[in-house]
Amino acid sequence: MLQVFINSIVYASEIAVIAVGVSLSYSVLRFANFAHIQLAIVGGYLTYSFAAIPGLPMVIAVLLAAIGTGIIAVLIDVLVFSRIRGISAEGKMIVSWGVALFIRSMLSVIYGGSAKVFDVPSEVIIVQDAVFTTLDITVVVATAVLMVGLHAFLYRTRTGSALRALASNYDLAVTRGIPGERLIRLMWFLSGALAAVGGSLFAMQTRLQPSLDLVILLPVFAAVTIGGMSNVFGAVIGALVLSFAQNFLIWIDFGTLFFGEPWHIPTQFRDYIAVLALLIVLLLKSGRAAGGKR
Amino acid sequence: MIDFVIYSVTVIAIWSVLALSLNLQFGMTGLVNFGQILPFAIGSYAAGIAASFGYPWWIGVIGGLLFAPLLSLAVILPAQRLSQDYWALITLGAAEIFRLTMLNTPSLAGGADGLNVPRFGSPVLALCIALALLVVSFFFAERVSRSPFGRMLRVIREDEVLASTLGRNPIRYQASVSVAAWMMAAAAGITYGHFSGYVAPTSFTVTETFIIWTAVIVGGPGRNIGVVIGAAVIQLLGVSSRFVAQWVDLPSDLIANLRLAAFGLILVLMFIYRPQGLIAEKREAHNVDRD
Repeated sequence: MLQVFINSIVYASEIAVIAVGVSLSYSVLRFANFAHIQLAIVGGYLTYSFAAIPGLPMVIAVLLAAIGTGIIAVLIDVLVFSRIRGISAEGKMIVSWGVALFIRSMLSVIYGGSAKVFDVPSEVIIVQDAVFTTLDITVVVATAVLMVGLHAFLYRTRTGSALRALASNYDLAVTRGIPGERLIRLMWFLSGALAAVGGSLFAMQTRLQPSLDLVILLPVFAAVTIGGMSNVFGAVIGALVLSFAQNFLIWIDFGTLFFGEPWHIPTQFRDYIAVLALLIVLLLKSGRAAGGKR
Repeated sequence: MIDFVIYSVTVIAIWSVLALSLNLQFGMTGLVNFGQILPFAIGSYAAGIAASFGYPWWIGVIGGLLFAPLLSLAVILPAQRLSQDYWALITLGAAEIFRLTMLNTPSLAGGADGLNVPRFGSPVLALCIALALLVVSFFFAERVSRSPFGRMLRVIREDEVLASTLGRNPIRYQASVSVAAWMMAAAAGITYGHFSGYVAPTSFTVTETFIIWTAVIVGGPGRNIGVVIGAAVIQLLGVSSRFVAQWVDLPSDLIANLRLAAFGLILVLMFIYRPQGLIAEKREAHNVDRD
């Protein structure tokens, strides 16, 4: 039980850091940015490259990767998204896939398709019957710090308020003198940097591969959808709900419950739970839209 | 050399049908299907599973052509009244779930190893069937495009509320289009299964969907002849990159990745500089009272 609880928190942390970036860009620019997943992978690879420099501590490597990925995200906006601000949300979504395809292939060209493993010192801790590592603690603490920091930035600073004003009504905010384009760049930097940290944490826990994007994609978008797309901290709640649902559904012994023989949902079916959660939320939304209320 | 030409034309014909199918959904109706590979995969696996159970080929054909449209309804009906972001997510999720199911059920679909499918008797037969399918699909898509039904699809694409005020139910049109388009893609998938002689989960990833998208965007969303040309351009780039690989002596997976990067770049550049595609959709005027 404690073990499942810990696993859920750790997994939710990894997903949440990536998911808030999707919500952040959705709230301001109103489109689902699929290239965001690739930014997480880029972050993972940059961390891997920086960590290869002798004597550079892992924390610094992750920070440098976050800054680098933030700059890449801003560059993508300057080169691509800033030129298509006027087109439909579907159009932007399709373009974001084009960007994702490009980044994914270039990563394979540069780093090759084979898996990279991070050399992170990690010790096993045993509390009662639960087993976890110091790396798990780092992941959770790092996420908590980032989320509190992001919350403080959005709700306690003038720039953060301006960003929220843009998200709630772009035209009105710009008319009132808020520098829209400059803040959009800042938003891209933030979501890129957060994605990089999330991607690095994810890669440290598993292995780094260009195909890691398919592993992250569904849970991240399920978390964002559960949280309501444009609500930044809704995405964190979404990640928690999804992670607990996944881990507990796999942990519960359905066999004994219904048939008398032990049977569990196989762990490969994690993604099914993500898509199922996505579908349930969409069905609920669809029902609400039909009722005419929001 | 002639073998290679036959092979290339067959591949182009199959992918053109997929592009026509996506064009019906996105180009004409505005449905953003990010799981376009799903009906194609269903068709291929129907052929493969029928073969692995020892059934004759036409069982696979019927299975694929029935299951794909049924699934399209299962996917589109929950998504009604929602914006295109969600429709994109649902189709993407459905396609990935299907791929993962095939990967995780070795008893049914061979798992990661895939299934063997009996090949067509000769490459020329494969070519003829693929071309016949393309011709039928093309004339069907043209017929839809020119009919009053097709005009209403464009109204729905531009403005669903307007379509409703004209007394039409958008979801019924969208569902009809999905059923037809998914059957088309399933037929392409069945042909592909018997053409390649082998189906495996790696052939049906998100990347494949985006190759189809690139073809449609390059060719010109809304124009059937445009998307066929788009599919031809993209697939020719694909097959010719093998020659480039031999010529410049680089590893083939490096070339494959550079090719995909080029597709991504083309998709983005087309959207920025020529969103109407190589062959733009014609602007048409109709008198509503007389239709």
